[in-house]
Amino acid sequence: MARFIGRRVAWAIPVLLIVTFLTFWAVKSATDPVQSFLRINTRATPEMVEEYKVKHGLIGSTPEQYVHWLGNFVTLEWGNSIKGNRPVWPDLKAAMVNSLVLGLTASFVGITIGLGIGILSALRQYSKFDTAATGAAFVGISMPPFVSAVLLQVFFAIMITSWLNLDKPFLPVAGIYPPGQTEFDLWLRMKHMILPVTVVAIQIIAVYSRYMRASLLDVKGSDYMRTARAKGISERKVIMHHALRNAMIPVVTVAAIDFGAIVGGLIITERIFEFRGTGDYLLTALGNGDFPQIMPLMFIIVSSIIIFNLIADLAYAWLDPRIRLG
Amino acid sequence: MKTMSNRPRWLLLLFVFALVVAACAGDTESTTTTGAPDETTTTADSGATTTTEAAVDSAMTLTVDLNPDAVWSDGTPITAADVACTWNANLNTPGAISTTGWDQILSVEPGTSDKQVVVEFATVYAPYKGLIIQILPSHLIADCNDVSTDFLDAIPVSARPWQLTSWSLDQAILEPNPAYWGDDAPVASRIVMVPRTDDGGIAALGAGEVDFIFPQAFAGITDALAADNIQFAPGYGTNYEGLYFMQGEVRNGPFADDVFREAFSKSVDRELILANIYDPIFPGAPLLQCGLWVPTVGPWCENTQFVDSYDPEGAVALLEGEGWTLNGDGFWEKDGEVPEIKWMVNTPNPRREGTQALMIPEFAAAGFNVVADNGDAAAVFQQRLPAGDYDLTMYINTAQPDPSVTSIMSCSQVPSAENQNQGQNNTFWCNEDASALMAESDLTIDETARADLIHQIGQALVDDHVMVPLFQFPNIAAWRTDRIEGDAPSADAANYRAFNHSSNLWTPLSDSGEIIIGAEQWPECINPVTECANSSWMVWTTSFAVLPAIWDTTSDGTFELTNLVAGEPTVTVNE
Repeated sequence: MARFIGRRVAWAIPVLLIVTFLTFWAVKSATDPVQSFLRINTRATPEMVEEYKVKHGLIGSTPEQYVHWLGNFVTLEWGNSIKGNRPVWPDLKAAMVNSLVLGLTASFVGITIGLGIGILSALRQYSKFDTAATGAAFVGISMPPFVSAVLLQVFFAIMITSWLNLDKPFLPVAGIYPPGQTEFDLWLRMKHMILPVTVVAIQIIAVYSRYMRASLLDVKGSDYMRTARAKGISERKVIMHHALRNAMIPVVTVAAIDFGAIVGGLIITERIFEFRGTGDYLLTALGNGDFPQIMPLMFIIVSSIIIFNLIADLAYAWLDPRIRLG
Repeated sequence: MKTMSNRPRWLLLLFVFALVVAACAGDTESTTTTGAPDETTTTADSGATTTTEAAVDSAMTLTVDLNPDAVWSDGTPITAADVACTWNANLNTPGAISTTGWDQILSVEPGTSDKQVVVEFATVYAPYKGLIIQILPSHLIADCNDVSTDFLDAIPVSARPWQLTSWSLDQAILEPNPAYWGDDAPVASRIVMVPRTDDGGIAALGAGEVDFIFPQAFAGITDALAADNIQFAPGYGTNYEGLYFMQGEVRNGPFADDVFREAFSKSVDRELILANIYDPIFPGAPLLQCGLWVPTVGPWCENTQFVDSYDPEGAVALLEGEGWTLNGDGFWEKDGEVPEIKWMVNTPNPRREGTQALMIPEFAAAGFNVVADNGDAAAVFQQRLPAGDYDLTMYINTAQPDPSVTSIMSCSQVPSAENQNQGQNNTFWCNEDASALMAESDLTIDETARADLIHQIGQALVDDHVMVPLFQFPNIAAWRTDRIEGDAPSADAANYRAFNHSSNLWTPLSDSGEIIIGAEQWPECINPVTECANSSWMVWTTSFAVLPAIWDTTSDGTFELTNLVAGEPTVTVNE
């Protein structure tokens, strides 16, 4: 197992370097950081432009620039944004925390409920529950977040508020805290996450319930399950000890990859709910052509996806011994 | 198998080596550069600048006596040094948004005391009343010649009824300024401003999450705002919307061709836009018939100049006369090429996107291949517009109480290497005769003579097909009647300073005593000198609310002295 892990980790490193180099090249080509700097600092002197280029590793060939940029990145010299001259890290950190909190909460809620529904659907195939769950899953998959978000906002924030004649919205429409809140407050934070988490979770529940149902049905019909039953093992034990573990293999893989993408943000949901996460951060930075803001986040996103792919590989191997033997 | 097991070690070493090299490379940066001070100035403590010989050539002198009681919220007196610092900051900061007007100042010095400001101008500068605004606190600024690294997250002091106690990308909080010397102290305990975009803002108002919004009007907004506890007030303010044509050769787009641009301009059916876009919002309101000014502000708008702008037959004749032909797709073509006209608006903006949906098929029917090419507000207004990265655009501009358009329409303000791309003439229009008229109008203090010059500039806009005015735009202020009491909010519907003009007069009805404002756009930074100030919402939510000015503008577009000043300033035109 250790050799398997070492091999996978070793492969992940060059992949990370190659992908981030390609990302660096693409972002630099698309945004032209020097021109972005000049557009905003219209009266910048040549010395200031030179300083900016040195600071952000924009001298020499593209590979040289990448190495320079990577050096700044790993030594945490992330510089300031072009727009507003703001330090990159504090804003990026805040955005990442928001996205991770939103994404992980929604994933936890969505995957837990989705797996539960999928298991019940598979165990009661073609029952009323299965039919209802299947129909609901298709609705959930088909409904884009910008529709479900607005519907939830109107219903929970406006209609219920009006029916109950409340002074403040029944559930908050937007933001991570109520206006004016400056201190950490767990309850308020959770309250503001209910609607955005629900929007994201709807799709996760729908998708994972389908994955789990299909995977478990597939396993239930396999030869070794019949063998287990033929040996007289109870159906409960067959399901719990044999079926679920094998049915989880593809689901775990998908979940790991999905987790890796969370750091990239949930752009639509974050925009609608004024939830300042990395999706919102990235859109704004791209709009400004703000290279110092874009690249660190891109590196983190790429790293996250690669790391979670690695975790998926390892989990896969752990769940299915045939993988590591191969 | 052996080969396979060796590869990871090799790759791991490669990665470690790359990181080490990269880390070492990251240490090579060493240079630091500061903004170059203006050569004609000398810098005193905190950057306040004086020039001794400049007054000899002064063409105009402005003398202002500051209110002896006027202090910053930390108790520091507001003095001539603050005005001098503001001048230097706007003139010399590398990313300063505009140097227009500031570059006409020769010196800013204290007069009989540091509470008297004497400003010497190199030329007679008629728009002087609109120049000295957003005065900076010199005592908190290390180098007034470069404030680009100041005001990153705060404007730490105030000289208005409110002080900005907190600002972030999520919200801004204003609280009463304890050192405010005026008699219009705030009634509310605090004002909280949060970003809520167009649709979200109306939803937030309906849900009671915010108490006041200042949304852009769109068809259906009256229905969207219909509720027993919501009141809204439209007002003919100072904003106007128009279509602008990018004619700069730097882009070399289709409108760089004068004939093509004229033909397109003649094909804009403004009555159609009025009937479908504006009339549903404000029935019966007329089209605006002058460019860059509005009829309710001063005598500057000759409100008949664009009456005959729509002339589709004339457009066809013009193009055919220049050898353009309609191709098989019905588009005008010349030399085998069909120009593609990229129409840029900021999104989300239902009204402008609705205009695109209405007019793109109309333009296609007239033979013009127009495509939507939109972006968010920050990208459109702070990046693409200044860079001339569009062919056709549509936005609201504010007719200033002073009619000067030199800063946005003169040849010298066309972005170029000569002006280090600092110019704000985003249409890249350059008419030397019109620019001369602009310069002359800036030197003409007599209002009648100045109006005549402005009308001539307006006619040049018509003749050169620089833009097409559409509508003197109504502002809308909407608020919860169960949260805010009194008529003060309605006054903000037509106002240069948006909601902060009278926000100190609003009476909150909530137990907390606070008022929550939903902002349609949210600034990414709050430096009042740099490109951050290119955002109306930045100045409305932060700098206008706290930084003092000698004159403020009123809803009807006139200047009124603020309580920063004691007595009427004197202006002397030197022979």
